[in-house]
Amino acid sequence: MTEEYLALIMFLVTIVALLLGFPVALTLGGSALLFAFIGEYLDLFNLGLLNVYPLRILGVMKTETLVAVPLFIFMGVMLDRSNLAGDLLDAMGRMFGKLRGGLGVSVLLVGALLAASTGIVGATVVTMGLMSYPVMLRAGYDPKLAAGLICSSGTLGQIIPPSIVLILLADILQGANEQASEIKGDLVPEPITAIDLFAGAFLPGLFLVGLYLCWLVFQAVINPTSCPSLKTDEAQGQVKLSEILRVIFPPLILIVAVLGSILSGIATATESAAVGAVGATFLAMNAGKFNLSILQDVSRETTKISSMVFIILIGASLFSLVFRGLGGDEVVEEFLQNLPGGAFSAMLLVMLVIFFLGFFLDFIEIIFVVVPIVAPTLIALGYSPLWLGVMIGVNLQTSFLTPPFGFALFYLRGVAPAEVQTSMIYKGVIPFIFLQLFALAVFWMFPEIVTWLPGELFKK
Amino acid sequence: MVRQLFNYLKHVADFIDKINQYVGHAVSWLVVFMVLNVFVVVVLRYVFNVGWVWMQELYVWTHAVIFMLGAGYTLLQDGHVRIDLIYRTASERYKAVVNILGCFFFAFPLIYILFTRSYPLAERSFQTLEKSSEAGGIPALFILKAVIPLFCVLFGLQFLSMMIRSFLTLITSTDVPSSLNNNQEQSL
Repeated sequence: MTEEYLALIMFLVTIVALLLGFPVALTLGGSALLFAFIGEYLDLFNLGLLNVYPLRILGVMKTETLVAVPLFIFMGVMLDRSNLAGDLLDAMGRMFGKLRGGLGVSVLLVGALLAASTGIVGATVVTMGLMSYPVMLRAGYDPKLAAGLICSSGTLGQIIPPSIVLILLADILQGANEQASEIKGDLVPEPITAIDLFAGAFLPGLFLVGLYLCWLVFQAVINPTSCPSLKTDEAQGQVKLSEILRVIFPPLILIVAVLGSILSGIATATESAAVGAVGATFLAMNAGKFNLSILQDVSRETTKISSMVFIILIGASLFSLVFRGLGGDEVVEEFLQNLPGGAFSAMLLVMLVIFFLGFFLDFIEIIFVVVPIVAPTLIALGYSPLWLGVMIGVNLQTSFLTPPFGFALFYLRGVAPAEVQTSMIYKGVIPFIFLQLFALAVFWMFPEIVTWLPGELFKK
Repeated sequence: MVRQLFNYLKHVADFIDKINQYVGHAVSWLVVFMVLNVFVVVVLRYVFNVGWVWMQELYVWTHAVIFMLGAGYTLLQDGHVRIDLIYRTASERYKAVVNILGCFFFAFPLIYILFTRSYPLAERSFQTLEKSSEAGGIPALFILKAVIPLFCVLFGLQFLSMMIRSFLTLITSTDVPSSLNNNQEQSL
């Protein structure tokens, strides 16, 4: 048996071990360690390599760009806990509610903008499901359409800025980009920052929101009973437009300020995130919803989520270390470079594998485990790192929507009222899956949709 | 006799939980400090056009302390994400077995290896009172290096607590929740 096989076996065993349900971070690191020992025993691995592991961790601890992650989490949790997100949905529902499909539009926009920026599909869909599903059902919406809207906008929120998934992805793509230029023998490449990726994901995100909106309007026209307008007693707030605007404007300004400062290139992701975190706190104070116990609650939640994310990164970095030590990256590289059909089939294969893995693994694990393995080769084959990042994001989002395994469906099932059948949720997401696949095809044919804005903004 | 041993084990687990709860609550306040720290850096930079390296390093390090030392607390609250396709709906018995095997084969070896490889680094750093490599940085890199072995201790202890509880669940066929869990986040 050669060492390359051992690397592939390690990958498969780890995936199976993850399914058992022990915390992901430790399963990744622990199973890699077991294989390091097996490799040492078979003379295929040098345990001395593990000496650099603490230095890798120290590297993660000193990476400034990753500080944006807890800051965005803080902002998201603050908006959520102080109920500003819920109030926003409520106000927008009242404003658009008189139109057919108007409530759906509000759910879509709020979901895409405020989807709790945790990077965990479950948390986002659960929040959206609890906040908006009962409201839509009460308004007489078709449970299928409502389910599709919640799942798709909740997962979309993960990949449009400001999202922590993109920050983590940028960090990994940066490393992959450096390796790719080593493969190609190029000079040091331009660094990839979270800001570049935010800019790259901006237009694709808008495109997807546009597609969902078109579908909703189409439904409202051909099947008006599926998304009726609110009855007047539900839309009781219509007299006070100023009241509604007072609720809508502050969070909107916050989001625009955070996104604007990032996209205009004035501030780094971390700086904007700090402004967002402090801004969200001010909004909560302004709405009279701020007190010490909310601050404590938000801080503890932020600690837990960011610890969860970074301990996975630490576990996954041991996985990468051992996978490389066993020569696994060379096997993957060689395999992808020698596929018949060249770069196109390499990309297609990677997309299919990631789609399939998305049934079992969440965003964070795929970014930390799979992307470092495949991205260097794909970038060396000539694909733009930014485009690759966005394609992976949209692909995973599609995977999370796909029955019967899609994550989003499980979580919505968990919080949906009992009278909603699982099959309704499945049927509801199907049109959205087609929209996603259509979008993927469009982004593939016209990569400029991703690369144009960053190029224009930051002159690369 | 056996009952006494079980009680003793449960006390050990409860004691560990208390330590990590205390540490977790303490580092959570650092989140507020970190948010303000970054915000001040932003204001100083964009409004007053000044900045210091140590101030930037301070929030990066604070961030590191939060996610490293908060790891045990996060585990106590079951906040480390699991792939729960099977786990979520499984029996208490299944969960206990997975947790025991996971501690034994994954968590303990990993934490042990990391501890033995990071402790000498931290020790050497302390002896030379190593400074940050950045000019104008915080002159105490040894603090950051010491966080890694400390993380191993806190995280390892919390897995020990998890293993004890899972073990007791298997033996006594009843769930053995932390005595903290009931009124944990509300009371404090």
